[in-house]
Amino acid sequence: MTSVLIVDDELFIVELYRDILQLRGYKIVGTAFDGEEAVRKYSATPEKPDVIIMDHRMPVMNGVQATREIIRMNPKQKVIFVSADVMVEKEARDAGAVDFLPKPFRMDDLIDKMHKVSEQ
Amino acid sequence: MQAKTSKNREQKIAYFMDLLSHDVLNNNQAVLGYLELILASSVIDKKTRKYAEKAVSHIRTSTILVDNVKRLMVTRDLSPSELKPTDLLAAMNGAEREVVRMFPDRKIGVKIPAGPKQVLVIGDGAAGDLVLNMLVSMVRLDSSNSVTLELKMSETVSRGRKYWQVTLADPTAEMPKIAKDRSIEEAYDEDSSIAVKMVGILYCRMMAEMLGGGFEVRELNPKSESKGALFVATLLQAGEA
Repeated sequence: MTSVLIVDDELFIVELYRDILQLRGYKIVGTAFDGEEAVRKYSATPEKPDVIIMDHRMPVMNGVQATREIIRMNPKQKVIFVSADVMVEKEARDAGAVDFLPKPFRMDDLIDKMHKVSEQ
Repeated sequence: MQAKTSKNREQKIAYFMDLLSHDVLNNNQAVLGYLELILASSVIDKKTRKYAEKAVSHIRTSTILVDNVKRLMVTRDLSPSELKPTDLLAAMNGAEREVVRMFPDRKIGVKIPAGPKQVLVIGDGAAGDLVLNMLVSMVRLDSSNSVTLELKMSETVSRGRKYWQVTLADPTAEMPKIAKDRSIEEAYDEDSSIAVKMVGILYCRMMAEMLGGGFEVRELNPKSESKGALFVATLLQAGEA
């Protein structure tokens, strides 16, 4: 079962991803509401998630910075970047994100990307 | 001093526009996601499924409108020379996929020209938005269930500068008279309710002009009864700004 860490500052978005991903058979191992919380939780967890779903515009630390920190700790970590800010795609990929989805996206598109990324 | 205050005010409005657009997109994401959950349920009847599918396509429209607002806010402060080149063929292929998804209850076919590997025009993401808005606006002018759109490209030169001309033809579209040769200011001053109906076309015209090109709306077959519609966008080739 593919394990997922969800990072987004909007509770309703976190709940939505959780509801859908759990229905599709994914295991949600954690949630974080800003980049710093994501980095903290990631470094404290011995069993790393297979995939991280990362938002960009969040308080304290944004998604690009958080991705950079996480990839520094584990260069093999798979991060799928999801954001309403399409202009941030290049920065996200440069930080180490393996894929990018502009919001709003269809959940099937996210599942497709999760599938591809977890098989890599 | 007054110019500085006005610039500050504009900047403040731009921040708010950005924040509000971001919020709308997040909410669109939630609505879209939950509609998809409803559609995935095995117990919903045919009618409910159809309603949910229609709602999904409207979410996409709403998102495009927000993207247009964001794109205008970004592009208005830039000159064409500050915009990155973008591949028109890739934009056409992306827009085709998008428009088919936006109208799930209609059969939409888009013919895309085979051409060189890359057709570079000035415009960054704005050129892609422009092509998508052309397709969507044309579908809206066509009330038939099966819509066939044809995109063509050709090179033109005007005043020593090279352009790519993109035409979009639909023989069954019905073009509103007001859409011809009308600027957004004229249409808005005359009747803003009419301007609202042709906002996609007006957006295409304004964006093409901001990218250093132009946009025209014509009848496809002026002499026949079913006149159809033709959009002509002219975009500066990369390196010509």
